[in-house]
Amino acid sequence: MYRKQVRRRRAVLALLVLGSFGLLTLTYGRGSNGLQRGVSAIFSPVESAADRALKPARDLVNWFDETFDARGENSRLHDEVRKFRDEAVAGQAAVAENEQLKKMVELDETVPSGYRPVSGRVIARSPTVWFADVTIDVGSADGVRVEDPVVNGDGLVGTVSAVTGSSAAVTLIADGSSAVSGRVVPLGVEGVIRPSVGDPNDLILDFIDSARHVHAGLSVVTAGWRTEALASRFPPNIPVGEVTEASIVEQEAQQQVHLRPFADLRNLDLVQVLTGGSRG
Amino acid sequence: MILTPKILARLVLIGLVGVLLQVSFFSQVALFHVSPDVLPALVVSIGLLGGSLTGAVSGFSVGFLLNSLLIEPLGGGSLVLLGVGYLAGIFRERFEIRSTFGAPVLCAAGTLLAELGFGAVALMLGIDSGVSPLVLRDMLLKSAFAFILGWPVYAGVRRALRPALVEEDSGARQRRRPTVLGA
Repeated sequence: MYRKQVRRRRAVLALLVLGSFGLLTLTYGRGSNGLQRGVSAIFSPVESAADRALKPARDLVNWFDETFDARGENSRLHDEVRKFRDEAVAGQAAVAENEQLKKMVELDETVPSGYRPVSGRVIARSPTVWFADVTIDVGSADGVRVEDPVVNGDGLVGTVSAVTGSSAAVTLIADGSSAVSGRVVPLGVEGVIRPSVGDPNDLILDFIDSARHVHAGLSVVTAGWRTEALASRFPPNIPVGEVTEASIVEQEAQQQVHLRPFADLRNLDLVQVLTGGSRG
Repeated sequence: MILTPKILARLVLIGLVGVLLQVSFFSQVALFHVSPDVLPALVVSIGLLGGSLTGAVSGFSVGFLLNSLLIEPLGGGSLVLLGVGYLAGIFRERFEIRSTFGAPVLCAAGTLLAELGFGAVALMLGIDSGVSPLVLRDMLLKSAFAFILGWPVYAGVRRALRPALVEEDSGARQRRRPTVLGA
């Protein structure tokens, strides 16, 4: 009797393990499937309601975390304010010039031309440190498509990796699978921005241009390259982050700099999906 | 554990509420920059109370629902959490938990194991980028949070499944005063 029970238990376990591997093989890299769309259709309203209902409690817990941080950041911010004041004065002239240039090329002030922003709210987030993705409450019914770029008020957040009718999965730029072509401004050095898995405050820009020395404090934006047949999924000039550390390795042709993303990837609430656009 | 339709419904409800709370609340709050993960603790608690088979099936279902809600590839969460639930159940079948710290310690260990499992799944699927040493700190902090959350989670699951627990019944029987004939 006991042996029979053990055999049955092992059989069920083997079935579940095989089922997991089977599901992983069938669904990996294929976006959303019918089952997920069904589950999402049922649970999206519940998730949205739970997200809104639990926001005050979340804010309370996050307030404690931010208070701990604020102590250390106070003196650093004082120094930064002084530095930015100097930069702001110098930047005003550049802003005036930029406004004129923008009018000349008829660029939209906030959204890259050809893109239609769709606002969404983060309703769920992956619990593990290994995957950086969130679920938002807008989906294909709102015009969201796979690979649409996602931004917030501070800068680039990620890309849409799967869509259902009423929700979408956004793979953040801190996820291990993310790669964004970026450009250091004003130097113009271009490279690929990759994450450092497990640390959403650290991105790494790999580039091949040992002649130009990138230094801390410079900003990095999306490169938004385009060829005849292909185009980057990101429009150009979306702010990504600020260079925090740049080591100069003369011997190596490929250089690396560390960036801190402008968007706070740990605390995302409202985001914008840039739908449409003209990708090759 | 005696599985009746009513208990099965309770298990489903516990799983649903647990996953919804995780993705909508725990994953979106941070203490010391780390979000608590309550799901391994939940699966460990079910495994400890229900045995290896119940733990494995619960882990598989909770992982499946988690992946579905996050619109992630299915199977990764199921694979990791079914292993955690199964091991918790095996532990319960081989050893007796006497200490009040037993369940929270196992919840912490289960969370650490789950994070290592998720790491293995991520590596299996291919990580093109470097891995920060902060991952280790995050995993240890998640385990510490799981130790703290393990108390209420285990107590809550135990309370919800009380009618199905054989040990609870026998304990109650032992506490009952004996009937003295002729007294």
